[in-house]
Parts: sequence; C-alpha cells; structure tokens
Amino acid sequence: MTPRFDELIHAPTRLSLVSLLAATDWADFRFLRDSLGMSDSALSKQLTTLEEVGYVEIRKSFIGKRPRTSVKLSPEGHEAFAGHVAALQEIVARAGLAVLPDQVH
Amino acid sequence: MEMPPIDAELALAEVRARREQVVDTNLVPTWFWPSVGGLMLLFVGAMESDVAWLMAVGTIVYTLGLGAVILAVVRKARVQVRFELLGARGIGAILGFALGLTALGVSLGFMLEALSVPFPAFLAAVPVAVGLTLGGPALMSYLRKLMLSRPLAGSR
Repeated sequence: MTPRFDELIHAPTRLSLVSLLAATDWADFRFLRDSLGMSDSALSKQLTTLEEVGYVEIRKSFIGKRPRTSVKLSPEGHEAFAGHVAALQEIVARAGLAVLPDQVH
Repeated sequence: MEMPPIDAELALAEVRARREQVVDTNLVPTWFWPSVGGLMLLFVGAMESDVAWLMAVGTIVYTLGLGAVILAVVRKARVQVRFELLGARGIGAILGFALGLTALGVSLGFMLEALSVPFPAFLAAVPVAVGLTLGGPALMSYLRKLMLSRPLAGSR
C-alpha cells in the first residue's frame, strides 16, 4: 500500500468515524452516533462529506415500520484509509518511535 | 507541512481504539454460553425422561429460551465486524470448537449407552455444557486477540 496522507480522513471526528467503519462490513447509524458521542445532525453532516467523495455508502431500509440507516466504507474509502494509515505509520517509523505491533504471524 | 510523529502515533492509537470498540461490540456475551449449556441439559434431560408432559414442557422451554437468548444477542449487534478480521484462523477456531464439543457429546453418549449406563444422553451432555460454559468465553477471548492483531488497514 502506497502511503498517502488524506486530509479529509484525518480531521479528528472523521478519523474516528472512518476507523470504526474500516473495522466493519456495515454499521448501524445509531451505533456510530453513540460510539462517537455525536448528535444525529453532526454525524449526518460528516457522513454526507464522506459520501460526496465516494468513501462511504449509505443504505436506508425498514425493519418493520422502523427506519434503519446502515453505513459501510466503500472500496475507495478502504483504499484511502489504508493509504492514510500507511502514511501515519511511515511518519512514526521515520521518527524511530516504537510503533505497536501491527501484523499477524 | 509534515505532521509531528507524536500526532501520527496518537492518530494510530485512535484507529486501534476504534477497532477495539467494534470488536468488543461483536463478541458474544459471557452469559450466552452457560445459558445455552443449561437449556441444552434441560432439553436432553426432558427427552430422556420419557415422560410425555416433561418432554412437552422441556421442548417448549428449550425452544422459547434459545429463541430469547439468540434474539438478545442479535439485537445487541448493531454492527458487523469485517470478515477479514476473523479470517481463516478465526473460522477454524469456531468450527473446531463446535465440532470438538459435538464429537465429545456424541461419542460419550454412545459409549455410555453401550455400557448400559442410565440416562446416557443427559450424562454425555453434561461435559458439553461445561465445555460451552468454560470454552465459550475462552474462544471469544482468542477471537478478540486475533482480530485486534490484524494489520490496521489493507486492501479488500
């Protein structure tokens, strides 16, 4: 993976949001809202920003009569996140800081 | 402008913490295992009693109880962990756990029956229930460790 620092992802709230999504196949809107301690509108705004650049896919459905919104990171989002993480790891490695192990053997 | 390394390290720590949050949300809760083990014992015991009303009550309690336990776990899951985090080793561990307990219960049951021990199925189900109660949380602990040790990001 080529390191590529992504300014859009790196904004504090979005880094947390994308990190949650990167560990999931899909995530419920309420799970994201509660995990990040955000309001509905603030989370919607961040998701719209990510959707506009093609980093997330938003799916609306109904469970019975209750609406349910699910979010997933798109392949483009996964690629951008991987590049961003690689860039962060490169910065840390260059500085000679001890990075926590990040590999399965 | 180059980012200070300490900020990059903090950002990586945030990525790890959020993954941990997702993984912990997905793990089957500890109470699930003794609940399933207890229900299984109740069902097998009722079936082996050969008493009609006990068999009927046992079946109803088992069906409703298992349904309630599974529903409670499913309702808790508001997120689905990425399959790649589990990987072949995780799937292998889950299958090995399930197959191991099944093989233990079936082989012990047949052996006890061959020895004409009374209530062979119930007695064979006891170590399986104990295995579920003790092994379930241990399996979850292993899966958690495995998922958290995967690379932070990668191509799908």
